[in-house]
Amino acid sequence: MLRTVKPKNARSKRALDAREPKEVEDARTAIFVKGSHSGEKVNNVMKDLMALKRPNAISFSKKNVVRPFEDASSLDFWSQKNDAGLFIVGQSTKKRPDGLVFVRMFDNRVLDMCEIGVEGYQAMSEFKTPKSTPGHKPLMHFASELFDTHPRFQQLKSMLMDFFNGEEIDSICLPGIEHVISVTLAPTPSSLNSATTRLDPSSSKNEDDTKSLPKIHIRTYTIKLLASGTRIPRVELVPMGPSLDLVLRRHQDPDAEVLKQAMRRPKLKKQDVEKGLGKKRKNMEVDEMGDLRGRIHVAKQDLGRLQTRKMKGLKAGQSEDVNMSDAEEDGRSTKRQKSG
Amino acid sequence: MDVSAILAAHEAKKQAVTVEKEIPLELDTGLLAVTDLNPIDCESYNENLEDYLTSTARDGVQALIAALFSLPTSSSADGPLAQLPPPATQLPRAKPLPKPKPLTKWEKFARAKGIQKKRKDKKVWDEEKQEWVNKWGWKGANKDKEVQWLTEVPANADVDFNPSQAARAERKEKMAKNERKHLQNLARAQAAQGTPNESGKVPQSQRKQLIDYTLATTRVSTASMGKFDRTLEGEKKLKGVKRKFDAAEVSAEKEKSSNLTILSKLDREPAAKKSKNSSGDSVLNVRKAVRAVSGGRGSATLARKAGGKGNKGKR
Repeated sequence: MLRTVKPKNARSKRALDAREPKEVEDARTAIFVKGSHSGEKVNNVMKDLMALKRPNAISFSKKNVVRPFEDASSLDFWSQKNDAGLFIVGQSTKKRPDGLVFVRMFDNRVLDMCEIGVEGYQAMSEFKTPKSTPGHKPLMHFASELFDTHPRFQQLKSMLMDFFNGEEIDSICLPGIEHVISVTLAPTPSSLNSATTRLDPSSSKNEDDTKSLPKIHIRTYTIKLLASGTRIPRVELVPMGPSLDLVLRRHQDPDAEVLKQAMRRPKLKKQDVEKGLGKKRKNMEVDEMGDLRGRIHVAKQDLGRLQTRKMKGLKAGQSEDVNMSDAEEDGRSTKRQKSG
Repeated sequence: MDVSAILAAHEAKKQAVTVEKEIPLELDTGLLAVTDLNPIDCESYNENLEDYLTSTARDGVQALIAALFSLPTSSSADGPLAQLPPPATQLPRAKPLPKPKPLTKWEKFARAKGIQKKRKDKKVWDEEKQEWVNKWGWKGANKDKEVQWLTEVPANADVDFNPSQAARAERKEKMAKNERKHLQNLARAQAAQGTPNESGKVPQSQRKQLIDYTLATTRVSTASMGKFDRTLEGEKKLKGVKRKFDAAEVSAEKEKSSNLTILSKLDREPAAKKSKNSSGDSVLNVRKAVRAVSGGRGSATLARKAGGKGNKGKR
């Protein structure tokens, strides 16, 4: 554990304050770590993933002896030091060639981990097509029923969403939507189809289990919007790269107690709720005293139907006498002025 | 005129932007994600992998784009901004929820009284210099008295009275007081919280200890150090509590002085009585007289009555 630092000047205080927990969090920063040996393939995969994750990415250029599943203390330390919430550890061993470990942190401690093996890989540079702008948010596409049923794939989906798109935003610039990351599984094997319902809790039994899991295909496309004649454009996809074919390997589920802490949502302030959380709520606002104020627009009053003093001469049937009665009223008002 | 061709073209356009699926797509526009829960088509998957992946992705993205483009928008310099709903998928937080800051003594008081916080300007207008100056800090207006070339000195001031130094001392005293209050607030917050552990809670053992400590303090607060107090069931006997007696033999000097203090106390009139008879040795008890005349309503009512009568007459 690091010792707690007391800021000595305003600048370092601001920097420390920026690291304090927030109600609505920023995107997680990802650190790319090379293990004791990572082959060329894994290195390139990490480089491409980093290109997609920029600017919330930090690269550790040197090798590190780190085994996340055995000892996560280094990860905790780096997380605190760099204020990072995600790790991608690339490691290639004889037993598990071309492995990538996605590690998610909570409060500078490991929350959960998921190891994947890279089988097929095409680099971004191999596609001679336009690329997306760094920093733009991608769309995410997941295809397979397993993302809803199988705990391993639920975790993977959550992990990838956190990696590429975790930040909560309240609005997005529509012309800024440039690319999509598509995650598709291979056809569900028949063993899994029946087994998931039966053996759901024991789905992470052993090594054999991961062998039966379907492959994962991650593809990245840029989006071309074509005019369709309606408000909604027609979408065409152009492969951008990288394209990855992956298999699931080891994993570590989050601790139930820690996960409960991590899933807590902030109680939204009344004022924010009144304001509609970005949704349009017309003619209502909360003033600085905390009172809800409404604005009422009253239509133009129809004075013609106003009930005045009832008189014989003003009856509905005698419309031709209107001018006369007007004059009469005028006369009376002047009289009253004189007396007063 | 044959419009069927136009209609067909329009229909085709509509078809191009709508997606039909057996199981409808799950959209999470808040996180810009779409999940296609339809089972993977084995045949087309094996036939041509890339084409199949692209076509499924296109369908999903088309649905998502349709949802995004139909959201309410606001305009900006870079184009329309779609207002996103809150995300449907809950992702774990990276850090725990922020803890509420402990209130200072003033903040607590202000909240109880309903006093709103007023933001003060840091600058004030200086008529002489004809510009805005800081109230405090660098070239602050609160240092004016220390630097002005002429100062009025009170008539009863000492010979060596230095007005600029006095003003400075007063200012420094204010700063020191503020700092003292700040430290007290910190200490109060610390005491209210105990010393919380990592999960942000005061451990139970510590709270228990605190209660025991308070209880022990109250038990020895009687003159007999709690010797004759009724004990409760399961109450432990306090250890190390002993009465302290003065020594039997003291020097004559000390004994005399202590006895004299007792005597002087006996002779004195009680403070409460003293204040009542503040009017001196007058025979008339004014308070009683006022009470009798006003019928117990007080002197203010009496005065108003007398004044009112006079006024009425004039009118």
